[in-house]
Amino acid sequence: MDKILSLENIHFRYYPDSPNVLTDLSLDIPAGKVTAILGPNGTGKTTLLHILLGLLKPFQGQVKVSGKSHREYSRKDLSQMIGLVPQFESIPFNFSVFEYVLLGRSPYLKPFQLPGEGDIRITEDALKSAGISHLSEKPVTEISGGERQLVHISRVFSQQTRILLLDLENQNRILRLLKQMSTQGKTSVLTTHDPNAAIFAADYFVLMNRGNIAAQGELNQVITAENLSTIYRTPIRVEQTNGYTMVVMDKI
Amino acid sequence: MKKLSFSKTLLFLAFGVLAILLVSVFIGRYPEPYWMSPKILFQDQLAQQLVLNLRLPRLLTALLLGMVLAAAGSVLQMVFRNPLVEPGFLGVSQGAAFGAAVSILWLNRHPLVIELSATFFGLLALLLSYLLSTRIRYGGWVLRLILSGVAVSALFSAGIGILKYIADPLTELPELTFWLLGGLYSVTWRDFFFVLPFALAGITTVYAMRWRVNLLSLNDDTAFSLGASLSRERIILLVMTVSAAAALTAISGVISWVGLIIPHISRRLFGASAEKSIPAAMLLGGGFTVIADDLARTMLPGEIPLGILTSAIGAGLFIYLMISFGIKVRRDG
Repeated sequence: MDKILSLENIHFRYYPDSPNVLTDLSLDIPAGKVTAILGPNGTGKTTLLHILLGLLKPFQGQVKVSGKSHREYSRKDLSQMIGLVPQFESIPFNFSVFEYVLLGRSPYLKPFQLPGEGDIRITEDALKSAGISHLSEKPVTEISGGERQLVHISRVFSQQTRILLLDLENQNRILRLLKQMSTQGKTSVLTTHDPNAAIFAADYFVLMNRGNIAAQGELNQVITAENLSTIYRTPIRVEQTNGYTMVVMDKI
Repeated sequence: MKKLSFSKTLLFLAFGVLAILLVSVFIGRYPEPYWMSPKILFQDQLAQQLVLNLRLPRLLTALLLGMVLAAAGSVLQMVFRNPLVEPGFLGVSQGAAFGAAVSILWLNRHPLVIELSATFFGLLALLLSYLLSTRIRYGGWVLRLILSGVAVSALFSAGIGILKYIADPLTELPELTFWLLGGLYSVTWRDFFFVLPFALAGITTVYAMRWRVNLLSLNDDTAFSLGASLSRERIILLVMTVSAAAALTAISGVISWVGLIIPHISRRLFGASAEKSIPAAMLLGGGFTVIADDLARTMLPGEIPLGILTSAIGAGLFIYLMISFGIKVRRDG
């Protein structure tokens, strides 16, 4: 496996005197694939994403990007390499969709530089590949929640990073986009608490439970009735229909 | 295409401000109220003196004041992700006035000392507001920031109150009272050249970094992922704008509302992106303040303090904007 991101024995807590959120966690993310990090709410998925991004520093352990430690990259280099779509983003000012997506070009600009023709073209392409060119002139505060997620995705597209980290609510349209990106050699890491969304989009699966990795690997190794029932603490069945794997819960 | 048309608009605005300055040279109460005919300038020695030594430095200082307050307001609003912030809301104006008062009473009345003291206390007030807001354990970010700004402002105005109480009523008190009203009546070339470096440094920094200011208005995690060095860039911008605002406050006294209302108007006219709204806000702020100061010095035989006028006009505009368009305050995180 060609790994592009790896975590080695990560320990993390938010304050020195608070309990660990992540304990001795190790994880490899394969390059050019869609990896789903699956687990119940509050199990540390977002924290894990922030550590991969470099926003949070682990209290112990190593984060490596393409085999080099985070610390060996400058802020600029790292931001040309890893992009983020957060779970929630409040934008207090009325940027137009275009102005907002253009901000994805900042990793390529010098501190006092303004975006040029090339950046504008890349931004237009990013809007096009997310299928929202028609929203370009609308204010970001006046579009729907679903459109807003596509706008965030376009921002990461215009950032042109090899690695995309996504803290998503499931949306088929976005999952499809990620799948397309992986055929162009991009690596995506997305978090979700919905196993079926993960199955729909991902090639590689990471099951998280209480700040640690319960299982990681291919579909049939990870998405098993036994694994899922344990971490979600409820009986869950995994069924095969016409070669498609589906996770079902018994009716209450 | 679009870019070109904006730079034309900006150029147009700049010419507008220049025209306002030019006309303002002839507005005043000499030789008769309201208007001095340009012809007089070539004949009357007193008129020449008046224009060269009183009106010009005053007009240019008003211009700088407006530009700096608008720039500081825009930056603070975006960096704190809060459209209701202006230097005054975070205690900066009261802090600066307190610093000026301390200097008048105990340190030295030399303009440079007053300015440095005002700048120092202005920054101190900003720091206190910021630290306090991170310590409050309830409410959203807006509420915490405004609460701590109000508290810090109140603290410094109490300090000013005490200083007024113990000040010598014949010598020190009149000078102190001047800060609280806010005005440019005593501005000379010397004052102008004292504030010029602070103002230019602040204006240039904000202008140069205007694209980055957009980044700082995003969520911390997004801004970080886009390569921003959050604390460093925030500190550079805050220190440069607040020190400029504090230095000008040391000359002008507390001038409120310009820093709040002008950025709003600019965003409404030119969009939220700081790339456009900040340069436009600076020009609008400069023009607005020059006009307000023209009114302050000509409307009545005596002078109306500038701070009172900007408050009245600013608050009026604010109410108008709120009623007719609704100023968007979205806070969901």
